[in-house]
Amino acid sequence: MKICVLIKQVPDKDSSLNISDDHLTLVENNITWVSNESDNYALEEALLLKEKHGGEVIACTLGKDSARQVLKDALAKGADRGIFISDSSFDNLDVLSLGKIIASSLEKENFDIIMSGLQSDDQGNSQLGLILAELLNMSHATLGMGTEVVDDSTIKVKKELEGGWFQWTKLSLPASISIQSGINSPRYATLKGIMMVKKKTVDEVTSGDVAADALESNVTINKIYVPDKTKETQFIEGSPDEISEKLVELFRNDIKVLN
Amino acid sequence: MLIEHSFTIIEKIVLISGICISLGSFCFEVWKRLRIVLKGTGSLPLDRIGERLWRVFREVFLQEKVIRGRLLPGLMHGFVFWGFLVFGLVTLDHFAIGFEFPLMSLETRHLYSYVVIPFSILVSIGILYLAYRRFITKPKILGKLSPTSGLVALFILLLMATYLLGELELQPLVWKINWWLHTLLILAFLILVPRSKHLHLVLGPFNIFFKPFHQPHHTPVKIDMEASEEELDEMLSNLTKMTQNQALDIFSCVECGRCMDVCPAYRGGGILNPKDHFILDLRQPLLETRDVDVLSQINVEAGWECTTCQACSEVCPVGNQVEKSDEIRRLQVLVEGNVPQEYQKLFTNLQNTGNSEGATSSSLVDRLPKFTPDMEYVFWLGCFARYELDPNFTKSVENFTKILDTAGVTYGILENEHCSGDPANRLGDKLTYAMLREHNMEQLENSNKVVSMCPHCVLNLGKEYTKYGDISYKVEHHSQLIGRLIEEGKIGVNIGDNGKVTYHDPCNLSRMLNIVDAPRTAIQSVTDNYFELPESGKNTLCCGAGGGLWWKKETVGKTHLVRAEQVVESEADTLVTGCNFCYGMMNQGLDPLIPEGRPKIHVKDISDIVADNLQ
Ligand code: SF4
Ligand code: SF4
Ligand code: SF4
Repeated sequence: MKICVLIKQVPDKDSSLNISDDHLTLVENNITWVSNESDNYALEEALLLKEKHGGEVIACTLGKDSARQVLKDALAKGADRGIFISDSSFDNLDVLSLGKIIASSLEKENFDIIMSGLQSDDQGNSQLGLILAELLNMSHATLGMGTEVVDDSTIKVKKELEGGWFQWTKLSLPASISIQSGINSPRYATLKGIMMVKKKTVDEVTSGDVAADALESNVTINKIYVPDKTKETQFIEGSPDEISEKLVELFRNDIKVLN
Repeated sequence: MLIEHSFTIIEKIVLISGICISLGSFCFEVWKRLRIVLKGTGSLPLDRIGERLWRVFREVFLQEKVIRGRLLPGLMHGFVFWGFLVFGLVTLDHFAIGFEFPLMSLETRHLYSYVVIPFSILVSIGILYLAYRRFITKPKILGKLSPTSGLVALFILLLMATYLLGELELQPLVWKINWWLHTLLILAFLILVPRSKHLHLVLGPFNIFFKPFHQPHHTPVKIDMEASEEELDEMLSNLTKMTQNQALDIFSCVECGRCMDVCPAYRGGGILNPKDHFILDLRQPLLETRDVDVLSQINVEAGWECTTCQACSEVCPVGNQVEKSDEIRRLQVLVEGNVPQEYQKLFTNLQNTGNSEGATSSSLVDRLPKFTPDMEYVFWLGCFARYELDPNFTKSVENFTKILDTAGVTYGILENEHCSGDPANRLGDKLTYAMLREHNMEQLENSNKVVSMCPHCVLNLGKEYTKYGDISYKVEHHSQLIGRLIEEGKIGVNIGDNGKVTYHDPCNLSRMLNIVDAPRTAIQSVTDNYFELPESGKNTLCCGAGGGLWWKKETVGKTHLVRAEQVVESEADTLVTGCNFCYGMMNQGLDPLIPEGRPKIHVKDISDIVADNLQ
C-alpha cells in the first residue's frame, strides 16, 4: 500500500493574528506555525494502515520554506519520505490551482491512497481531497472516521453523516480520503524517529515542475478583516412551559447544542 | 537451672546438617537477589559514609521513621526489632550449646536472661499486635493476606515461648525437646526469610545506608543528537534498566503500604498505587528474568497519574525511592511515542515558543525591569507568572517586587527566559527538556544570583540542571530572600489580621529543596494566629499539580482535591503557600468545597501576606 498524506502548515490556534496594513495578508512574525490538526490524524491513520498492511507512507506539503518543519515532524513520526512543493509563485493561489499543482506533483507516484485532513484550520476550504480525486481520477470519501482495507483494490471508509449518523462505504483504490479529527490518537515522535529524519529523503517540487495553467489564481483577495462582533439578544416571553419549549427549540436548531 | 547439657554425636551431625541446609538456602536466595542487584546500572554509593551511618542509626536502630509514621504499629515493630537484637547473642549461644561450646557461662546466661526475658515478652506482644492488625483489622494498604506473614508470626511467637520455657527448670528430656524445637524454628525461619518480605530484616539496613540524599533521584537522560544509530540504541535500551539502588529497593520492600497512605493519587481514588505499580509489580519480573531490564513493565496509566511529589520515597521506612513515574514516562515519550494529546500540545508549545502556553507575548514582562549586570538578582518568573496561568497571581508577583523595592534590592527579569523545563522533565520529554535547559543556561551564563517564586523552577535551575553540567549562579526561592530581609531588618513588618493562618508546604520546596523554615519565618512575623496543617514540612501533601498534572485534562481519581479538602477541614481563614502552582490549585479548588455558610478561605502567596503587612 502506497499512501500519501497531505499536511499543511497553519498558524497555531493560540497565536495572535494581526492583519497587515494593506488588509491583504497576515503579519507573520508573531505567528507560531504548526501542522494542521486534522492532517495529524490523517498521518496517524496512514501510519496505522502501513503498520497493518505494509507499504510506504509519503508526507507531502505545499508551503513556504518554514513548512519543511511539518515534513520533518511527519518523517520523525514514521513517514518514509517527503515531497516538498514550494515556490514563491504558489503564494496566494486558490485551492483549485493548488490542487492542480499538487496533482501534477503526485501524478507519477501512482499512490493507492491519498489522505488529507478534513479541512485546514486557516482557510477551511475542505476541497483539496475532492479536487485531487477528480484530477487524479481516484474515488473519494470525506469526513472519514475510520478505515479498513478490504483487499488490494478496495477500502472501506466510515463516514460521518449529519445528525450523529455514520455510514460505511466501500471505495475502489486508488482513493482520496479526507480524515476527521479525533479518529485516532496521533503518536508523538520518538527519539529514534527524530534522529532518523536526517537519513530520509525529501523531493522538492518547484514551479518548473508543474503545468503552467495551474499558476493562475481563480480567486483574488480584496480584503482580510476580523468579523465585526455583533450582539444579538433575544427575549423569550410566555409561561414557564412555553419558555422552556422555545429554549429547547433554540438550543436544538439555532445554537445546536442539543440533538 | 544452671546445668550444661550434653549432645550425642548423632545430634551434632543432625545439627550441623540442619545449619548447612538452612544457611545454605538462605545464602543462595540472598545471593540470587544480590546478583540481580549488581546487574543494575550505576553503583551503590559509598560517599558521605558518616552521614550514611548516622542515618542507619536513626532509622534502623532507633526505628525513627517506622514509629513516626504510625505510632502504635511502629512501636510494636520496634519491640520486635529491638528484641531481635537482644536475641542475636542468645541465638548464637543456643547453637554453640548444641556443639557443647557455649559462648556464655551459666552465670552470664542467667544474668543476661534478665534482659532477654522482658524483651521476649515485648516481642510477643509486638508480634501478636502486628498479627492482629494484619489478620483481624486488615487495613487495605497491607494488601492481600499473606500466609507467610502468618507463619512468620507463629514462628516468632514459638521462638519466644520455647526460649521462655528453656529458662524454667525442666526435665533433661523436656529441655532437649524444647531445645530442638527452638533450633528447628530458627532454621525454618532462615529458610523463610529471604523468600518473603521479611528479607527486609537483612536488606533494610543496607538499603537505608545506600539511599540517595537528594530527591527526586532520577538518573539524567543525556541525549547526543550526533550519536550513531548503535549508540542511540544502546542509550535507549538502558532506559529500561534499573539502577542498583532501585533493584535493591524492590527486594527490601516490606509491603507496609506507607507509600500508599501518603500518595495523593492513591488517596484521590486514582489507579496509581505506588507500592504495587512502582515496587511489587517489578519483583517477579526481576526474579524471573534474573535481570534488571524490567522498567517497561510499570503500569503506564498509573505512571501518568503520579504528581512526582516524592511523599512515597520520603515516608518509606526501608529507604526506598519508590516513585518511578519518570522511568515509565520517558519510555513512553522517547521510545514508544505514546503521549496523551494534551501533553503533546504542551511539548509542542514548549518547542515552538519556549513556554508551556504557546504564548507569543506577556504583558507582565513589559511592566517589569529588565536585568542588567549592575543589578543584584535575576528575577526568574517562570511560565506560571509570566503567562498568567492564574491571573490573580500577577498581584503576588507585584507584591514581591514591592518587597524588593522597599528593601532596596535591585532585580530584573530576563526577556529571553524560557520555561525551566519542569513539565518536560517530569513528563519524560528529555529532548525538549534539553532544548530548554541549554537555552536557559546560556541566558544565565553571566548571572550570580537568581530568585524565583516558583519552586519547580528553583528545583530545575538549581538542582536538576547540575545533573547535566555546571552552573555558575545560585538560585533562591523568594521565601528565603523575604525571610532574610525580615531577619536582617531590611523590611519592617507588622502583625496583621488574617484570622487563623496556615501554610501549605509545596512539595517541591519542602521535600525536594529542603526549604521548610524560611516560609514560616516570613509568615509568623506577620501573624500571631498560626497553625500547622496535619501534613506539613517534609511530610506535606501535594496539591495535585506536580508532575505535569496541571496540564492534564482528565484524571480517574481526584488527586487535585485531596489537599484542598484537608485545608477546608482545617477551618483556616487564610491559606499561605509558596508555589504558584499550589496557589492556582488552591485558589481554584477551595471555593467549591467550602460548606455553605462558612466564610471563604483566602489564598495568599508568602509575598502577599508579607507585602500586606509592610510597615
Ligand atoms: S515501598 Fe516502602 S513504604 Fe512502600 S510498601 Fe514498600 S516498604 Fe512500605
Ligand atoms: S511521587 Fe507522590 S504521587 Fe507519585 S507515587 Fe509517590 S506519593 Fe504518589
Ligand atoms: S504545585 Fe506545589 S504542591 Fe503541587 S507539585 Fe508543585 S510544588 Fe508540589
